[in-house]
Formats: sequence, structure tokens, C-alpha cells
Amino acid sequence: MGRKLLLEKQHVEGIRHYDVYRREGGYRSVEKALKMQPNDIVEEVKKSGLRGRGGAGFPTGMKWSFLAKPDGVPRYLVCNADESEPGTFKDRYLMEFIPHILIEGMIVASYALGSNVSYIYIRGEYDWITDILDQAIAEAKQNGWLGKNIQGSGFDCEMYVQRGAGAYICGEETALLESLEGKRGNPRIKPPFPAIKGLWGCPTVVNNVETLAAVVPIINEGAEEYAKIGVGKSTGTKLISACGNINKPGIYEIDMTISVEEFIYSDEYCGGIPNGKKLKACIPGGSSVPILPANLLLTTAKGEKRLMNYESLSDGGFASGSMMGSGGFIVLDEDQCIVRHTYTLARFYRHESCGQCSPCREGTGWMEKILLSIEKGKGKLSDIDLLWDIQRKIEGNTICPLGDAAAWPVAAAIRHFRDEFEWHVNNPEKCLTENFGLRHYADAIHVPV
Amino acid sequence: MVQFKETSLAKVKEIIARYPSGKQKSALLPVLHLAQVEFDGWLDVPVMDYVAGLLNIEPIEVYEVASFYSMYNLKPVGKFVFEVCQTGPCMLNGSDDIIDYIKQKLSIGVGETTADGLFTLKTVECLGACGYAPLMQFGKTYREHLTKQKVDTIIEECRAKAN
Ligand SMILES: Cc1cc2nc3c(=O)[nH]c(=O)nc-3n(C[C@H](O)[C@H](O)[C@H](O)COP(=O)(O)O)c2cc1C
Ligand code: SF4
Ligand code: FES
Repeated sequence: MGRKLLLEKQHVEGIRHYDVYRREGGYRSVEKALKMQPNDIVEEVKKSGLRGRGGAGFPTGMKWSFLAKPDGVPRYLVCNADESEPGTFKDRYLMEFIPHILIEGMIVASYALGSNVSYIYIRGEYDWITDILDQAIAEAKQNGWLGKNIQGSGFDCEMYVQRGAGAYICGEETALLESLEGKRGNPRIKPPFPAIKGLWGCPTVVNNVETLAAVVPIINEGAEEYAKIGVGKSTGTKLISACGNINKPGIYEIDMTISVEEFIYSDEYCGGIPNGKKLKACIPGGSSVPILPANLLLTTAKGEKRLMNYESLSDGGFASGSMMGSGGFIVLDEDQCIVRHTYTLARFYRHESCGQCSPCREGTGWMEKILLSIEKGKGKLSDIDLLWDIQRKIEGNTICPLGDAAAWPVAAAIRHFRDEFEWHVNNPEKCLTENFGLRHYADAIHVPV
Repeated sequence: MVQFKETSLAKVKEIIARYPSGKQKSALLPVLHLAQVEFDGWLDVPVMDYVAGLLNIEPIEVYEVASFYSMYNLKPVGKFVFEVCQTGPCMLNGSDDIIDYIKQKLSIGVGETTADGLFTLKTVECLGACGYAPLMQFGKTYREHLTKQKVDTIIEECRAKAN
């Protein structure tokens, strides 16, 4: 069993409440941090190797060190709790069951960054979790961890929760800031980056829930100890939310050394695929990252076992690899239809495009329509090339990465499952009642070009 | 005339105090949530104009935002709103069947409200709970691992509440 840092206390009764959380060692990292120099905390986080858990994997300590510090201008910490990437539901778990770990991490981060006011931007649908966070914040305040002059340190720290209102794009950090300012969630053109001009034009750090929670064990255990867990540039632990066709969907904290095969099949994690079915495909890091057929998922093109970490999941680039992304692990069994699944994702991105850039606004709509017509047995073979062409024209040509996020799932589905698309076109009647099935997708590796 | 209850007005004040002075527009999303709960589950134009007045911003700034976010209803909805997730991971676990079942059971299509004004069915995109599929948003929380029986029970519960 791997080390647990974030979920270590998940089964302690009442851990959601302050008294129990504190009794179990909660808020020690704040006590420790308040005795340190803010910059030394940033250095610790750098040394820990922590990478942003929101999806992009950007080194957190480095991001913190970029924060501009002009005199007389407030700085802000904003927690990204928008959690809307299909397949991802890990932050919800932390906030719902162990809310104080987020608040604790945010206090340490606020102190390190010199931010006296921070906001948790949470997706609007998590209405009941907003209440849980509000209550936890009130408890922390009553006990002197928030408010003026916390723990007699001279440092003031306020924290507020703000609900979004149903828009995936508000997970993109600049759209999130717009939304927090009471506007439509239209991503901003970068630069300037939030570290220079963020919330209300002030320097701002935006971090994911899990990233901020991970600051707690880093300060408690020390960066070196934290960095010993995991492998290579995948240090520490990672929360994976597993869903789709598996026996035990849920949240797992892994130490990034286990293999994908072990993660799917062992009873400690997903517990295999229901009803003895075979694995067909998997999206290992949230809907935006490339889907892989079973063979390429379990073994890299080099023939090595694929591991659950940043480097191994992306081994082979987009030709034969995928990405860790947000850790949203979606498993498809042999009876699932790749065309249908890809269509639902295309519909998602069309629905969520903010509409500012024409390649994204128009392209996502076209892809959805074409995929639906192929799914309904009304497609042409040339539609597959057209899809490929559209996704290429979106990728890299937009203001924010939602364009890429919409393009990649379609590209990867065609790259690896082209014959299934062709079968749909060539069997317009049959594809309405039958599925293509597993065919060769679990066979020994053939690397697509 | 549109007017918040005293408690809601106090809440609006509290929300505005979270931001630096002059940045009260930031309160727009939370205040629209409050308004939607208080005024029958949707945002009519007079309600939006009222919110604009409260926050000292132009009505157009409110319309822009209300029309952007999918949680704000710009048309009347039923007393109970079922918002069933239909994105990939939920589809893998049978969300399409649940949507069809609700349609048939209530004799309405997606986006429609029953004639008695009790139920509205909506489909939504990923609710961030894919491991508990199929599921729907129902009021403040989610109803997860839906089955046909569970849908029946929820509908009965609602009918009982409405009586
Ligand atoms: C379309 C889109 C949606 C995103 N959604 C989320 C999200 O729901 N949660 C999140 O933490 N990051 C999300 N991100 C990434 C954020 O922009 C940002 O990189 C992240 O919050 C930074 O935090 P981290 O460095 O701690 O990962 C999204 C990015 C894009 C382009
Ligand atoms: S890429 Fe799409 S979501 Fe991003 S800014 Fe452009 S239109 Fe909006
Ligand atoms: S796909 Fe339905 S909750 Fe994520």
C-alpha cells in the first residue's frame, strides 16, 4: 500500500469538523509556517517538486515565485475549485470530507505569498459543499486561524467561498478571474499572466484544490521527505478519480509508482472491470487528454509497463501516449462505442465553448454534428478526414486551451480507432443496434503513425 | 415590485463586504443565485433589473452574465427541476436510459415542464461526480447511482411534497 498524505485521515470519524481535525494534527503546518520566512516556504514548495494538480502540471513553487510584488498593491490567492473536467471529481471529495485540509493549505500559501484575502471559486452545482466550506471557514476563524493577526503572528488572513454558475470554461484561470469579477467567463488574452495582473488587475496566484492541500504535508514533513515519494518529476502523491466501467469507482491516492494495470485490476484500486468484460480503452487524465486503446494504455510503445505518473502516461507523445491531466481516469469496456463516447465529449466542448474565438466556437459545433451523423449511420468516409482537418485547425489557434482540449479527444479517437469510425460509415444499419466491439484493441502493440 | 426579503438583503450586504470597495460587481453571481431561489427558480427581467440596482451596475451587465451561465434559468421552470448529466462517463453507465425513462414517465421532452407545473427535465454536462453515475442535480444536492426505481421514488417524494 502506498503512502497516503491527503487522505490519511479520511476514515477518522468527524474529520470534517474542526475539533477532530485539530486533534488529529490539523493546522500544524500553519504553526510551523508562521515561524518561517515567507520566501523560505516558497523555496520548500519548489524543492518538493509539487506540480499543479489542476491539469497542466506546472511546478507550483515556480508559479509562486513569479508573483509580482509591487508596493502598496494587494496580492490574491484564488483556489480553483471549479472541477468540471469530465472524469474529474477528486476536489469535491477533499472539500466535502476533509475541508480543513484545503483551508490549512490556503493559509500557509497566503502567508507565503503575502495575500491577505483569498477566494475559493467553486463550481455552482456543488451547492452543499459550499455550505460545508463556509462552516469550516467559520470554525477556523473562531479558533484564530483566520481573521486579523492570526495566532498572534501579525498576519491577517480572510477567506471566502464564491460559487460559479455552470460553465466549464470558468475552470480556465483567467475565465475564473473574470467570473469572480462578476462577468461572463471569457478567458483573457495572455500575457499579462495572473501573476502580474490577475484579480481586479492585482497580482494573483490561482491554484487547484489538491495542489493547495498538498502544501500541508510538504510543510509538515519537509520538502525532501515529500520529494522522496513518487518517481522522477512526479513527486508526492496524486489523487485519481476513477470512473466508467470499473468495479470500484472512486477517489484513490496513489504514489505514482504503480502501474496502470495494477491500478485498474487490483482490489486496492479499481478492482477490475465488471461482469468479466475486457478493457477496450481508457482516458487516463480527464476528457481533454488523448484516449488510448487497451494495449497502448498498459504498455508503452517501447514495450515497458506504463506507470501512473506524469512521465510514463505521456511517454510516446500523442502518437502512442496520453497525459496525467487532472487525474480523471475514465475506463471503457469492450461493449462501449468509441464514436458515441467521442460524440458526447464533442457535445460537451461545444456546449462549454465561450464563443470568443471562431475556430473553437464553430469547430466544436461542426465536430459535434459530424460525430452525431456518423454515430447515427449517416456519415461518409470523407467525414472522418473532415473531422481530422477541423480538429487540426482548432488546435493552437485559440485564446485559451479549451480549443486544444476539444481537439485532442477527437484526434486521438480517430488516430487509434479509425477502423471503428469506418465500420460505422460502412454499416449504417448495423451500427444502430450493434457495437464494433473490442476487435484488436487489446492485441499486442502496433504503434500508429 | 420586486424586493428581496430582509434576510436576503442582509446576505447581499455580507457578500459585497467580501470584496474591496468599488468591486461590488463581483457579488453578481452569488446575488443572482439568491434571486433565483427567492423568485420562483428563474430570473425574470424585473428581477435582473432589481439586482442591477442593488449592485449599482447597468442592467445589461446583469443580462450578459445571466445568459452566459447555464445554472440561471431565463424562463419559468417547474417546482422540481431534474438536471440529468449526459456526458461521456455518465453515458458509459446508462445515463441515456435514465433520461429516456424520465421523459416517458413524465411525458415531457428535455427542456420541458409538465402541464401541472411540477417537473422540469433538463440535461446537463458533467456535474463533477462521474464515479457516482448515473446522477442528477436535484435542488441543492445530487441524487446519485440512479435507477428506474430511484427515479420513481424521487418523483413520488416530490408529488407528496407538492400536496
Ligand atoms: C478549459 C479549462 C478548464 C480548466 N478547468 C480546471 C478546473 O476545473 N480546475 C482546475 O484546478 N484547473 C482547471 N484548469 C487549469 C487552470 O487553468 C489552471 O491551470 C489551474 O487552476 C492552475 O492550478 P494548479 O497549478 O494548481 O494546477 C482548466 C484549464 C482549462 C483550459
Ligand atoms: S478557445 Fe474556446 S473557450 Fe477558449 S477563449 Fe476561445 S472560444 Fe473561448
Ligand atoms: S460525466 Fe456525469 S458527472 Fe461527470
